Amino acid sequence: MTIKKVTNSKFIKSIGLFLAILGPGIITGSVDNDAGGITTYSVAGAMYGYNLIWTLIPSFLVLLVVQEMNARMGIVSGKGLATLIRENAGVKITFFIFLGLLLADIGNTTTEFAGVAGSLEVFGVSKYISVPLVGFIVWILVVKGTYTVAERIFLIFSVSLLTYVVSAVLGHPQWAEIGHAIVKPDIKADGATITMVLGLVGTTIAPWMQFYMQSSVIEKKLKISQYNYVLADIIIGCIGTVVVAFFIIVACASTLHGNHIVINEAKDAALALKPLAGAFASQLFAFGLFIASIFSATILPLATAFYVCEAFGFDAGISKKWGEAQEFYTLYTAIIIISVAIILLPNAPLISISIWSQVINAILLPVVLICMILLVNNKKIMGKHVNKPIINIIGWATVVILVGLSLMLLVSSFI
Amino acid sequence: MTSLTTFYLSRLLGCNIFDTRDNILGRIRDVYVRIHTSLDDNQSSNPQVIGFVVHVNGKNKDAVLDSLQIVKFGIHYKVQCQSMTLVSHGMFSGAFLLKESILDQQIVDINGRKLVRVNDIRMVAISAGTFVVAVDVGTEGLLRRLGVNMFFKRLLQPFGGNIPSKFILWDDVETIDPNTFNIQLSQTRSKLNTIHPSDLADIIEDMSKNYQAPIFSSLDEEHAADVLEELRVKEQVHIIESLPLGKAADVLEKMPANEAADLMDHLEDDKTEQLLLEMEPEASEEVRDLLEYPDGTIGSLMTSEILTFTAEQTIADVMEHIRVEKPEMESLYSLFVVDANNVLKGIITMRDLLVTDPQMHLEKVMNTNLNSVNDYDRLDAISGIVSKYNLLAVPVTNDHDELEGMVVIDDIFDELLGKKRAS
Repeated sequence: MTIKKVTNSKFIKSIGLFLAILGPGIITGSVDNDAGGITTYSVAGAMYGYNLIWTLIPSFLVLLVVQEMNARMGIVSGKGLATLIRENAGVKITFFIFLGLLLADIGNTTTEFAGVAGSLEVFGVSKYISVPLVGFIVWILVVKGTYTVAERIFLIFSVSLLTYVVSAVLGHPQWAEIGHAIVKPDIKADGATITMVLGLVGTTIAPWMQFYMQSSVIEKKLKISQYNYVLADIIIGCIGTVVVAFFIIVACASTLHGNHIVINEAKDAALALKPLAGAFASQLFAFGLFIASIFSATILPLATAFYVCEAFGFDAGISKKWGEAQEFYTLYTAIIIISVAIILLPNAPLISISIWSQVINAILLPVVLICMILLVNNKKIMGKHVNKPIINIIGWATVVILVGLSLMLLVSSFI
Repeated sequence: MTSLTTFYLSRLLGCNIFDTRDNILGRIRDVYVRIHTSLDDNQSSNPQVIGFVVHVNGKNKDAVLDSLQIVKFGIHYKVQCQSMTLVSHGMFSGAFLLKESILDQQIVDINGRKLVRVNDIRMVAISAGTFVVAVDVGTEGLLRRLGVNMFFKRLLQPFGGNIPSKFILWDDVETIDPNTFNIQLSQTRSKLNTIHPSDLADIIEDMSKNYQAPIFSSLDEEHAADVLEELRVKEQVHIIESLPLGKAADVLEKMPANEAADLMDHLEDDKTEQLLLEMEPEASEEVRDLLEYPDGTIGSLMTSEILTFTAEQTIADVMEHIRVEKPEMESLYSLFVVDANNVLKGIITMRDLLVTDPQMHLEKVMNTNLNSVNDYDRLDAISGIVSKYNLLAVPVTNDHDELEGMVVIDDIFDELLGKKRAS
């Protein structure tokens, strides 16, 4: 038994355990910086320079708290978030949440395919070729059941998100200014800024991610005794998310903002970087965008179809055949087809789609968070692992702030 | 005005209860049901309504409602009763709540052999009382709960379409929530025992991990061992770790030694040691031997449960031995002839047993063309031999040509398909 001899050392054993548990937090963290995320960070950097970087600090805190709750709920209850909501809140609330989730995710998936189209246009590939092709590849990956392999490949590729560090450095950022802007940002509290801040928080903590996080923890069959490793995994994932976001903002802020270049999409950022930071920086930026988009375009429709089916009691899962899980595959295919079709429409209102799916996200997030906080404090479900007061304070504060900001945004967008 | 004999749970929940003088007594929050132990086998064991959780003056209270009925006035429904008696909390021990533990929860559809989610519960009020008849797991139930059922029905009517509805009779479902399950189990044997081990393994894999061990514990020991064998490694490990040590050891003893060894390879060393000590010495010895073999060798896949005979014995002796011992099917794939030093001399097949004169000595019948493999050979070696010689089982010998066990075709299949390793 050679393997067992090697693991006799306690230290190596812990490392081995950690590597085995590693995944849920880090994957969720990577998927977090999807096409929508990169777009929002780029636009924020280009419009506000370094002045919105501070938002990453509360975002990090909330992301950490939310994901920790998800992981704990998953480990203790062994049930997915969709199941817990359905079993405890009944059909009506579940229906509302999942209708919202479905709409928002179709919008988000469209944004992912827009990211695929945009990033490949930087390399001179027409969207009429790239989008149907990528859509088909993504679809076949799941239907043919090679998804798990794909997920691992994507995870390795997601290291390429670190290319944003290079892109940022090539733009010669002013580090002293960044430090100053974090401590003392120069912003006005007008409608546009609130929208941007909400967008930044909303893209970092998307509602569907909570469902995804909890399911991956369950999939790994983790035990409460492994909690510390899980927490480490989440912390690494959250730090990764925020670091990448930081460098995207810096890359755009130090080049585009100084030259007063206005951008609407992540692709614009990649193109605009070319004269300012060189073709290499531009291509790296586009490559990162491509990987992030395709990764999320695979996970997002799959996850959405899965949670909807989980909540309403339809058979679901990639290990099942088409005939065994008809609703699941139909839904999955429909989401991809609708998203691809929207991108291919000439003059598709991509920017409004992206804004509206973010608005739905922003409305949905507090609802999901409230459900989560109520569930995680339910002794029948969580036993002695209910929330500590500090986590509840952060959770409820987040809900209040998000609801406040969302209301302000809704009001300001209608007047 | 008519009173309904059959109705849905969703029709009751959240409804005001009126007495005969039209006073509101409270609001129904949940329904207590109890499964009666039936002495007469023909009697149905459907859960009977014995009480209610009623929301009165801002608090939830347990209550008994006398002669409850749902009355229909035109298109409106009204829940009526003669009188309401509030009772103490302990009154309904041994009962369970329909909304809390059945509605919206997952249950096992015994005939469909899968997990389904309960959208609504169908009930019947007869002179003997009010009973649960069936659970509604169809789309119609979902729409009814959302209150848009009639709307969709009217919408689809002109096109001749209808909303798919699906009911499962109470007799054909089993709850999986541990609390409810235990209450039921105290009255009846788990219906899950009637499901084929492979199907039950699939169902258990789909369950929340907290339900897996309790459900598993409720199975008969033989059935449990068969199910455990069919589960994925992840679930096997989880269940063995969750069961009490004695129970886990009992189940492992019932499993073929090679399967048990495979499973224990994935447990922590301490746990394996504890289990081996707890198991019957005979069973644990076999497992211990198999555990010695590294992964990927023939030994790790082989079973040591084989039937061996000597060349002097007759076919009749062999048949007699099999009748007495009643071995598993797998052990009969191949029978072996060995000498006094346990060195392999020949192989007897099931066909030989059936077509040969019972008085014939084995040395006359046995096949001496021995295609054996060494216990430390790599696994790749074996599939070629099996397909080339069309064997059901291949004997495994050690360096001194002594017979150690055999590898059967089923296990080779599993290995080739990677079924056990798939996670």
